[in-house]
Amino acid sequence: MFSISCSDKDDNLTTTPPEVPVEFYIPDGFPAPVYNFQNNPITQDGFKLGRKLFYDPILSRDSTVACGSCHQQFVAFAHADHRFSHGIDNLVGSRNSPGLYNLAWFPNFMWDGGVNHIEVQPIAPINNPVEMDETLANAVFKLQRSSFYPQMFEKAFGSDSVTAQHMLRAMAQFMGAMISAGSKYDEYRAGNVTLTTSEMNGLNVFRAKCASCHTEPLLTDMQFRNNGLDSVFFTDAGRGHITQLPQDSGLFRVPSLRNVALTYPYMHDGRFYSLNNVLDHYSSGIVQSSTLDPLLTPGGMNLTAQEKTDIISFLYTLTDHKYIADKRFSEVQ
Amino acid sequence: MKKIISMLAFVAMISVSFTACKDDDEEVAPDGTVSLEFTNIAGNKNVDTTGATTYTTALGQSFNIKRLKYYISNVKLLKNNAVVYTMPESYFLVDESKQSSTKLSIPKVPNGSYDRIQFMVGVDSARNVSGAQSGALTPSDMFWSWSTGYIFFKLEGQSTSAPGGNYVYHIAGFKDPNVASRTIDLTFNGASLVVEGSREAEIHVFADVLKVFNGGPATVDLSTTYNVMTTGANSMKIADNYADMFTFDHLHN
Repeated sequence: MFSISCSDKDDNLTTTPPEVPVEFYIPDGFPAPVYNFQNNPITQDGFKLGRKLFYDPILSRDSTVACGSCHQQFVAFAHADHRFSHGIDNLVGSRNSPGLYNLAWFPNFMWDGGVNHIEVQPIAPINNPVEMDETLANAVFKLQRSSFYPQMFEKAFGSDSVTAQHMLRAMAQFMGAMISAGSKYDEYRAGNVTLTTSEMNGLNVFRAKCASCHTEPLLTDMQFRNNGLDSVFFTDAGRGHITQLPQDSGLFRVPSLRNVALTYPYMHDGRFYSLNNVLDHYSSGIVQSSTLDPLLTPGGMNLTAQEKTDIISFLYTLTDHKYIADKRFSEVQ
Repeated sequence: MKKIISMLAFVAMISVSFTACKDDDEEVAPDGTVSLEFTNIAGNKNVDTTGATTYTTALGQSFNIKRLKYYISNVKLLKNNAVVYTMPESYFLVDESKQSSTKLSIPKVPNGSYDRIQFMVGVDSARNVSGAQSGALTPSDMFWSWSTGYIFFKLEGQSTSAPGGNYVYHIAGFKDPNVASRTIDLTFNGASLVVEGSREAEIHVFADVLKVFNGGPATVDLSTTYNVMTTGANSMKIADNYADMFTFDHLHN
């Protein structure tokens, strides 16, 4: 007696469903991106190579630390519950690992903007002695002698000779394709959903009191500002470290608030564990210094309890549940 | 018959003369190759990157050299005060520990004679903001990952005058007012570089590292200036000094 067993049939097929192709697009209302993939158009093979590299600890000196170690998709690629991250040999860094999304719109990277191009951003964590502590040359060497990377490079770039440029371009294809524009806030902007009363009130207060720096729709104006955390900046001069200018001392890049409910702790040094802590700071904790942003007042903006509650309701609408579950950006086992 | 023969003769004559013209075209030589060779010296001594040789600055401070690397780019050949040939994609990393890197090959130079050369020490600003690059511009230890851009000039070694015993100069910067690249302009002192076909013509240049300390513009004091790893005034001072370090020595035509 013959029986057609569905499971038998499935064994003959590939077990992973075909992936939704990835492509770059400009979400409604977004400005033109900074990175236009001009010399590095996104291809499925380039994207997959970049994704593989992002999650591969081979890029670290002792093959223990990957980009994905401190950039976790389920918290929008920040580092869950970590003020600072521990890299190679359990060494601890000095700045909070930021969430990663919409990177093609960023004119520079890192809290101090020290990296001027998405393609060279991975070099910083790869070289950093407390993160991955590896040289590009050695990373390339390891990839070249791997049993599978040369073929992936061949598919992506037409050559199985691994180069640093191709490695970095593949990673830029992956990182650049990571677009987050599917939150409730975005659905509201598109007219597809309504916000609750609290969320709506929160949005209105946000627009009045926060949006001059956390500008829509990217939720950052990409500028460097001192938001009144400290009066002196010996530990970390932020932007001043890059430009060497005294007027930049204590300035850090305004982060995008998309997915902010997921990316705690907050600030360049992760000092605030909750959004309430953050709002308390803006409400009554702003510290005077010579470089305090002109848009902020020492002391703070004196938010009411209701305003704080409403703002937080609004901030929760910035969570993009589709993005953090999008398998295309996940580690492939 | 006679008519045909003379016609044939006429045609043959024309073919021969056309063929002769073609031969003349084929005899014109292809563009030539020029090599630009740097000899790194420190005063009257060779540069030795093992650290075994001691050199002395104008301030009487002694030092050795463990690392000497610099970018040379944007090579141009001139004649009669005009740029005749700009080498495209002109980027080289001279590394004293790799002797082959001190001989730069400039291919496809149009035949002719030249009396002057220009090149940049460093990498032009556009290439510092253009993302991941290849060849001599592949990011390496001559690239700052924390403030992305190329290190134009790297000199490291030991000195008893430097607190801690070591000096490290990583000279970089491509944004005003801290642009550390310098354009070097060297005439061949009246001699002519003749580029003709496949023969390789050579330009020999000396790079006197002692000038980094004793350059025209300023004297660098190892006891106070021993760690330069950011852009700024010290970088500019050293850059102004290395602008002074190249001299034309001789040609081989």
